[in-house]
Amino acid sequence: MRWRNVGLIFRREVLDQLRDRRTLFMIAVLPILLYPALGIGMVQLTVLFSEQPRTVVVLGTASLPDDPPLLADHHFAEEWFRNPADASKLEVITDSHADTPRQQALLAVATPMKELLAQREVLTSQIFTAQQAGDVASLARLKEQATQLTDDLSTRFNDGEMQVLIVIPEGFANNLERMKAEVLQRGDQAAAFDYPRPALLQNSADEKSLIAANRVQHVLDNWERAILRKTLEEVGLPASLPEPVHADAIDLARQEELAANVWSKLFPALLVIMSLTGAFYPAIDLGAGEKERGTMETLLICPASRTEIVLGKFLTVQLFSAATAILNLSSLGFTGKYMVSLAESGAMSRMVDLALPPVTALMWVVVMLVPLSALFSALCLAFATFARSSKEGQYYLTPLLMVTLGLTVFCLSPAVEMQPFYSVMPVMGPALLLKGLLSPTASSMTVYILPVLCTSFGYSILALWWAIDQFGSEDVLFREAERFDVRLWLRHLLRDKEATPSFSEAMFCFVLIMLLQFAAMKVFQTPLQRATPDQRGVLMMQLLIIQQLVIVATPPLFMGVMLTSSVGETFRLKWPGLFAIPLAMVLAVVLHPLSLEFAARMSWFFPPLPESVTEVLSTIARDDFSWWMPLLAFAVAPAICEEIAFRGFLLSGFKRGGREGLAIVLSALTFGIIHMIPQQVLNASLLGLVLGLVAVRTRSLFPGIAFHFAYNGLELVRNKYGGHVPQGGLWDWFFLVDSDGLRYQPALLGLCFATAVLILVLFQNWQRGTKTATAYSAWPPEKPLQLSG
Amino acid sequence: MIHVEQLTKRFADLRLDGGFTALDHVSFHVQPGEIFGLLGPNGAGKTTCLRILSTVLRPTSGTAMVAGYDVATHPEEVRSRIGFMSNNTGIYDRMTAYEMVAYFGRLYGIPENILQPRIDHLFDRLNMQEIRDVLGSKMSTGMKQKVSIARTIVHDPPVLIFDEPTSGLDVLVARTVVEEIRALRDQGKCIIYSTHIMREVEKLCHRIGIIYKGQILAIGSLAELQDQYAKTDMEALFFELIDRHDELLQGAKS
Repeated sequence: MRWRNVGLIFRREVLDQLRDRRTLFMIAVLPILLYPALGIGMVQLTVLFSEQPRTVVVLGTASLPDDPPLLADHHFAEEWFRNPADASKLEVITDSHADTPRQQALLAVATPMKELLAQREVLTSQIFTAQQAGDVASLARLKEQATQLTDDLSTRFNDGEMQVLIVIPEGFANNLERMKAEVLQRGDQAAAFDYPRPALLQNSADEKSLIAANRVQHVLDNWERAILRKTLEEVGLPASLPEPVHADAIDLARQEELAANVWSKLFPALLVIMSLTGAFYPAIDLGAGEKERGTMETLLICPASRTEIVLGKFLTVQLFSAATAILNLSSLGFTGKYMVSLAESGAMSRMVDLALPPVTALMWVVVMLVPLSALFSALCLAFATFARSSKEGQYYLTPLLMVTLGLTVFCLSPAVEMQPFYSVMPVMGPALLLKGLLSPTASSMTVYILPVLCTSFGYSILALWWAIDQFGSEDVLFREAERFDVRLWLRHLLRDKEATPSFSEAMFCFVLIMLLQFAAMKVFQTPLQRATPDQRGVLMMQLLIIQQLVIVATPPLFMGVMLTSSVGETFRLKWPGLFAIPLAMVLAVVLHPLSLEFAARMSWFFPPLPESVTEVLSTIARDDFSWWMPLLAFAVAPAICEEIAFRGFLLSGFKRGGREGLAIVLSALTFGIIHMIPQQVLNASLLGLVLGLVAVRTRSLFPGIAFHFAYNGLELVRNKYGGHVPQGGLWDWFFLVDSDGLRYQPALLGLCFATAVLILVLFQNWQRGTKTATAYSAWPPEKPLQLSG
Repeated sequence: MIHVEQLTKRFADLRLDGGFTALDHVSFHVQPGEIFGLLGPNGAGKTTCLRILSTVLRPTSGTAMVAGYDVATHPEEVRSRIGFMSNNTGIYDRMTAYEMVAYFGRLYGIPENILQPRIDHLFDRLNMQEIRDVLGSKMSTGMKQKVSIARTIVHDPPVLIFDEPTSGLDVLVARTVVEEIRALRDQGKCIIYSTHIMREVEKLCHRIGIIYKGQILAIGSLAELQDQYAKTDMEALFFELIDRHDELLQGAKS
């Protein structure tokens, strides 16, 4: 690595980008102009925006009480609105006031509805009586009539193009007066008085109607409160009677906290999205653009190594990514502050001064920007190198942006807070950390800073390594634009079989397993929900076995038979010698306590287990099954099916990439990922490393199956009998039973660790040098395998 | 200076069983002060062969030694000792002629105090002083080709590889290019020159390899080839070799 070359390439690329008007526009001009322009646009829209008045029809106005008045001057009285100007936003048509032909037509539609409503009232009371009497036959008939009636009402309502209809019942004002009289005359008696109340009709599926109805409801509530106050006064009761507990809400939020709350939401999201978009366009220009313009080969024949070239380009992309993010953030910050200071009314007016975050918080923004922009720059550069042309490169933006947006939106949700598990996730860690650091109620975020920075830089380095790898691959650099022919490709797949699957076939198999698992969720969920709690345990185990056979084992088996020429080599169906099987089982036995202890120590790190999983665990511990059912579901089926998939097809495919270590890591990761729950993902991935090593070194699937069976079997035994180990004496040196079930003491763990290391070393050096690639003579069988039948 | 032994390159190709063989056990040697012509139609494997020599592609099998280094194991040493120019080695649009040549000169590790006079000298020799500060995007094809030549020889490499350097050029520029290559030979450089134009081969090359469908059909000096195949006309010789090879392939198939 010669840093001089990296510097030379970096300087040239930066100069090149600065001479490109498109890039300059995207990176610098756009953010500086965009936010003020948006601000101006918003001001203009508010000025031009005028709400269309909504139509409310009020029938039976003659029965309204005169004091307090609901209507005044053919509108709702202004006093019932928080903002008196809002009164003009509701056009009121009453049976005594309909001037224009449109209003008359509306009234003509609305008036018959009063009658329909009355019929519905009658029906409702009849239904109630029938329900009380248990008259099933007439109940069904009445209900049907009621539905019919509602339907009629709905049709008329929609035809009339009104947004709200209010029907005041006959003699409403009189009833109010009578109620008052009753209360005054009751003496010691309880006053029992009921009367028909007004009806409010709306269509909540129609946005306009919904908004108008909410407004009208607000008006009616205020009016009702006034009526109540007046009534209480007249009958001589205290005004606080209906609201004996009316808490006074006091908001303690300070101005700068309100501002910080705004920034803590805006800045992390914008930082993530802008560092991605800022990385993307330069990356495409530096990767695919260079191929397109025919200068890629010129650069490749200079003495700079591929790593130097990628690093130079990567630093350029990162510079522009960071610059875009910072320019966008500052432009947004200043525009936002200015806009808020302009606002006179509305929710924003509370924050007269939208103070920018303090310098320390801004410093954290810059610190987080470094790993974020590094990750996106490396990813974009890898994609851009892979793309044949700038156009193809742009296609890759969408999925990358979608994933990033999804993660960002998740982080923005107020319920999502920083926790150890999130801190090591890409994008989420920095976004949540920033959200925490910028938020007004600064909870202790300092513990997360180091893990977030470390993992973020880790991800960036992985992405960079991938980009360098892409750049070193001649298939990627010299991809020719080829016509893609599905038939030709399928024929090639089936005709030019090789002994083991290709890398992409293995990847496809994994995606297929994941998709099947996703699709099967619903299929498995439905019967489980229907089953009674007693049946659920057995049913779940049956479903687990089916899932293993159909989803995990079938795709790789099918693909192995169809797409490879040596099923034996693909699935490692070679006898490893008698010694390997028991050795693998012993390894499982000694690794089991270690991995349990590890999981227990790591439990703080993960979000708590979902309820369904704890339920499964408690099901296993129950006594009312025969022993073989859980053994089949939790030990035998996974041992065979998962090994076939992950140490068979997938590992063989990944190994074709040429790197053994990478193949083991990939097979372990994929094995982890299908376990879904974060705790199990980590555990399974670690065990996957061991299983992968054993499979590669012994060149056989069988030790893996034995290991897997022993491990899962032991877990089963621990869950079922863990509470029953003998206690006291020597046993206490090894075991401990606490609230989590069986735990292990340091002496046992130390012993296990030493044995595990010993066995792993044995496996690591298994049959070194005796390359027996042709040990599959007995396989495949003479006749090709028959798939059908 | 260049030793190619049994060089083979296969590419994955869906249409063909076992992939497409672009180079099939090709062997040849080139000495300093010599121009070796690689003559063949389009798609014969010339570019693949030269790309392997420039370490941009890796050989599937066989070896290629350039200036004493194996292209597969010491690609960076090889790259710093060769000058490579082809249709695919374009120049940057947003760089001036001077910046472009200086950039590559620095990548080759030439110290600044030597680089400046050398570029000046090169620009004088190639009549490029007036395009010194012109951006790549504003240049004509001929100007671009001159910048490419300057870029190829700025570090004074002992080995030079030209892959169809005159294709698409008008006669005047093509003549400049050919003259420049001849001058380089006179300086004792080891040169490979690939083309599908017979006249250029006849004028320039000491020895010729005729390549077709990834195989070298004949190799030798012009006189040797004419003697061996009893043909004085280069074009007739070329077509006869190709026809004979096609018949051979047909025979093998049936």
